[in-house]
Amino acid sequence: MNNDHLGELWTVRNAAAATLALSEEQMRRAVREAEVGQLVALIETFSPARATGPEWTRTFEPLVERLWAWRDDATMAALADVFRGRGMPWMAVTNALSPEHGARLRATLRQPAGARLPAFALV
Amino acid sequence: MDLLHGAATVDQLRDEIQGVRYREATDTFCRLVTEEHRPLKTMIKEAIAAAAPYVQVPSHLMRLPNGELRGVNYDHTILGWRGAISLMNELEGRRAILPNVQAMWYVPQGLNVWEQVICEFPGHYARDGEQCNRKFPGPDEHVNRFDGPAWNPPKIYFEDHAPIEGGSVDDRLARMNWAIAEGDKAEAYGLFLGLAKDEANRHRLKDAILFAGIIDLQDTIINRGGYQNIGHKALRARALVDIADYLGWDDSHELMYTVVPDLGCSPRLYGLWSEISTICRMEIPEHASIPKRSGKPLSERELDVLTEALLWGGPFDVNAAIMRFFKRGAGILDVGDGVIACFQRYLIDVLEHPNAFLHPTHALDYMNVVQSWTRNHDNPHQVKGVFMGARFMNDTIRSNANFPRDPNTALEPRQKFRAWADDFPVDRLLPVLQEHVLAQDAPRSCALVDSYLDRTTERHALLDTITYAACHWQNDPHVMRNGASSLEEFRHNRTSRRDDIIRGYVKHQSRYIKRAPTHDCFNVFVDYFHPGNV
Repeated sequence: MNNDHLGELWTVRNAAAATLALSEEQMRRAVREAEVGQLVALIETFSPARATGPEWTRTFEPLVERLWAWRDDATMAALADVFRGRGMPWMAVTNALSPEHGARLRATLRQPAGARLPAFALV
Repeated sequence: MDLLHGAATVDQLRDEIQGVRYREATDTFCRLVTEEHRPLKTMIKEAIAAAAPYVQVPSHLMRLPNGELRGVNYDHTILGWRGAISLMNELEGRRAILPNVQAMWYVPQGLNVWEQVICEFPGHYARDGEQCNRKFPGPDEHVNRFDGPAWNPPKIYFEDHAPIEGGSVDDRLARMNWAIAEGDKAEAYGLFLGLAKDEANRHRLKDAILFAGIIDLQDTIINRGGYQNIGHKALRARALVDIADYLGWDDSHELMYTVVPDLGCSPRLYGLWSEISTICRMEIPEHASIPKRSGKPLSERELDVLTEALLWGGPFDVNAAIMRFFKRGAGILDVGDGVIACFQRYLIDVLEHPNAFLHPTHALDYMNVVQSWTRNHDNPHQVKGVFMGARFMNDTIRSNANFPRDPNTALEPRQKFRAWADDFPVDRLLPVLQEHVLAQDAPRSCALVDSYLDRTTERHALLDTITYAACHWQNDPHVMRNGASSLEEFRHNRTSRRDDIIRGYVKHQSRYIKRAPTHDCFNVFVDYFHPGNV
């Protein structure tokens, strides 16, 4: 590996980060505009019987981080109510939508100085 | 002699086992050893014999009236004994007897599994898993009648059979494996008994029965309900081999009766075996000649690739990674060691929910059977066992990942407690570790182990401490079995990451869900065996 190679790798990494930042911005707008029913439908895709596989389900936590970052408490409470009503099989989801978990996430989701986005989980 | 109870007898032990009086049976077992001075080995044999007729089921799939299927659990009594016997060599002094007392405690709770799952017989499955007392309570609401004693004698689903003899050894071994695969339990069992009579056949017979168990493995457990065996065919075969070697093959008839018929029980699952056989035939046709050790173990980079495939990849990623190692000249045990070591990162870094350890650690125990088979036997199919074990591990990881993570079961990072752990002098750290394993405080237990591993090369006392603490909990033979697997693999592992096996082991034993919050069995052990240092 020569010095140029490290620089090329960093350029590629930066291009990927720019693409990701653009996609996060589009996601943020979509999440902000979504009705509760639309968000419920998205969360339902994380059911073990509906998910396209573990690769999809593993992105549940990154989605929850963004929901807490981009939506208000009333919306989150409405979502939690929907899944609480479905009982034990959805308990992990309900717990992720609980105000205690939301407070924890919001408190720890740091925005690094100079960064365009908070330090969200990627996958 | 105990004047209050009279002398303990083997007849009494048998009645208590078959009557699901597990507390009394454990007491009698301990008295036979300590007061009547009966050899521990003989008492283990008697306990296995008392349970043997009652551990078979007609099938591991129960057809429900609506046409759906539900799984019927595999006998775990024999798995407890196998783990306990193995751990006798690992624990110091009288502490080594504790896993045997735990195995004894479980035996009466593990009979007649078929009746237990339909709430017609007491025991661990009826009491805990099925919660039968809620569905069918007895007259006293404060008494869980599914904790025992039994109100009916246990049922026998498979009568003992006579040995089948005659014909060449090759022919009989082939017929036995065919009978197992076709579900002809009587033929398989009879042939096994006949072959086992001659000491000259036993090494080949062990290889054959391990092979039969290893190749019977589901391709996935994802959304499969009971249509899987989570490695139990292989685990049973290993239990048979180890316990027979301990008891002596001429004293192991009831052990064989316990294990062999179930290997032919339905379902028998050969989908994964077929897939792996196909890809090995296509890509490494010379696989039968791959050496066990090649002098080309996995590099650090290759261990990283394997970890990525096992933990975060799909089934074909796992196939591709392992295939690449074999094609470039790695030995069977070199790759198997890598699989065992890399899998530990899942226990160490990813697992949090106490319920989620069960399936992945079955896969670890299965992989231990594969490794042990490879170490002790020569069989042209051993390369395939490595693929099978790795695929099983990956599948259980993917199965767990199919459920959203519950933040309420999140653990604090072990690193947070590292400075705290480093404050304990090394020579005073192990009692603190035992205390935190007993408190099921995984982050601190893991931090203590990290600290210990970094400050000393001593390992025996560390493993003794974790294992002894783990064996305090009752009703769960998985504890002994996993202890035996982890310690054996640690001893043999030649990767640079073998200490990760200890890190994974302590995380498992300080976090895995417990089947009882009390240490009643441990207290019985202390009363009779006075182990000291408790």
